[in-house]
Amino acid sequence: MRILIVDDSSTMRRIIGNVVQQLGVAKEDFDEAEDGVVAWKLFQEKNNYDVVLTDWNMPNMNGLELVKHIRTANKTVPIVMITTEGGKGEVITALKAGVNNYIVKPFSADILKEKLDGLVKG
Amino acid sequence: MSMSQEEIEALMNGAEVIEDESGDEKESEEVVETAPEESSEENSTDEATEENLDDILAGIDGIVDDELDSKIEESVPTEISSNKVEAEPSIEELIDANQYPLPVKTENKVVNQLNEVADDSEEKASQIFDVLSFILDENNEIQNYNKSMGEFIDSQVLLLEALSKKFPNIDVFTTNLETGKTLLEASKNLSAKVDGENNKVFEAMELMQYHDINRQKIERVMAVIRKLNSYLNGIFEDDNEKPEVQIAKHISGDSNDIVGADDIDSLIAEFSNEG
Repeated sequence: MRILIVDDSSTMRRIIGNVVQQLGVAKEDFDEAEDGVVAWKLFQEKNNYDVVLTDWNMPNMNGLELVKHIRTANKTVPIVMITTEGGKGEVITALKAGVNNYIVKPFSADILKEKLDGLVKG
Repeated sequence: MSMSQEEIEALMNGAEVIEDESGDEKESEEVVETAPEESSEENSTDEATEENLDDILAGIDGIVDDELDSKIEESVPTEISSNKVEAEPSIEELIDANQYPLPVKTENKVVNQLNEVADDSEEKASQIFDVLSFILDENNEIQNYNKSMGEFIDSQVLLLEALSKKFPNIDVFTTNLETGKTLLEASKNLSAKVDGENNKVFEAMELMQYHDINRQKIERVMAVIRKLNSYLNGIFEDDNEKPEVQIAKHISGDSNDIVGADDIDSLIAEFSNEG
């Protein structure tokens, strides 16, 4: 399973990467991006991700814009938004933009595992 | 070499020396060294001191006598006359004197300071993560060694069980079987403890999400400050191109010392007498 992890905080990328590794994903099977611009570039270049995990608030291009970009090119790749934005309005906005699931920080490793399992099996 | 205002003031007051605020120790030391000599001659050589002063003033480019006099009058604090060498004021003293917050420099700007805090925190969080990752890696190594030892001990226990059954009269087989079972149990306990430790490390890694959350809270404060700055600049902006008028220092009704009519009369009388 190939995963793209997008977050401007290097600590968050490592935390998510750690959870993903606990699920059995090898380190070389996931890529990291510090903003939407880098992530969009990677997505276009590789075009082989099974899941995208993205933050919302990031410099240069935010997560919502990234989701919209990805959805113009790929309608099926599962996208999970992992963000501090916990408002109902934000969740609806993200879902409308095309995310498949939504996790509010701080989250437990079990929650992310559960959501990823659901996406991969579903 | 041009002299600082403090040096001029020190010379004018004989032995009085003010600590150089700019931290130019060399110049301060020169003043401290020369001041006592002048102090000792103060009473006997008033005229000579005046001449020296004129020479010094003449050597300073771009300072008009009247201008210098007025500056000196304004800037000579009353404490100087008490022959004290003042220490650098503390922050509390600066606050009391309304000289705080600090001057607007890059390092003192609030948004810059907050940004620095966020960046430092990110760097330290990354280092903490390195430490936690190292512990996890080491624990995995321990688990691997322990697994190999456990497998070997398990095979030895099976062997000793067979031997002790076949040779029940040989005590060493029975004794070693018991020891093997104890070591096997210890190996399982060690594995459980390392697993427990790993869970705690994962828990710590999860808690480190608060670093990111706190960073975003700081960024929210920075955004508010930027907006506030923009708003205050706008609301205090002066569209009128009228030149700035010098403001009055003492106005009737102020709580600070205002001279009364009697005071003015006595001052006039005093200065008239001198004239």
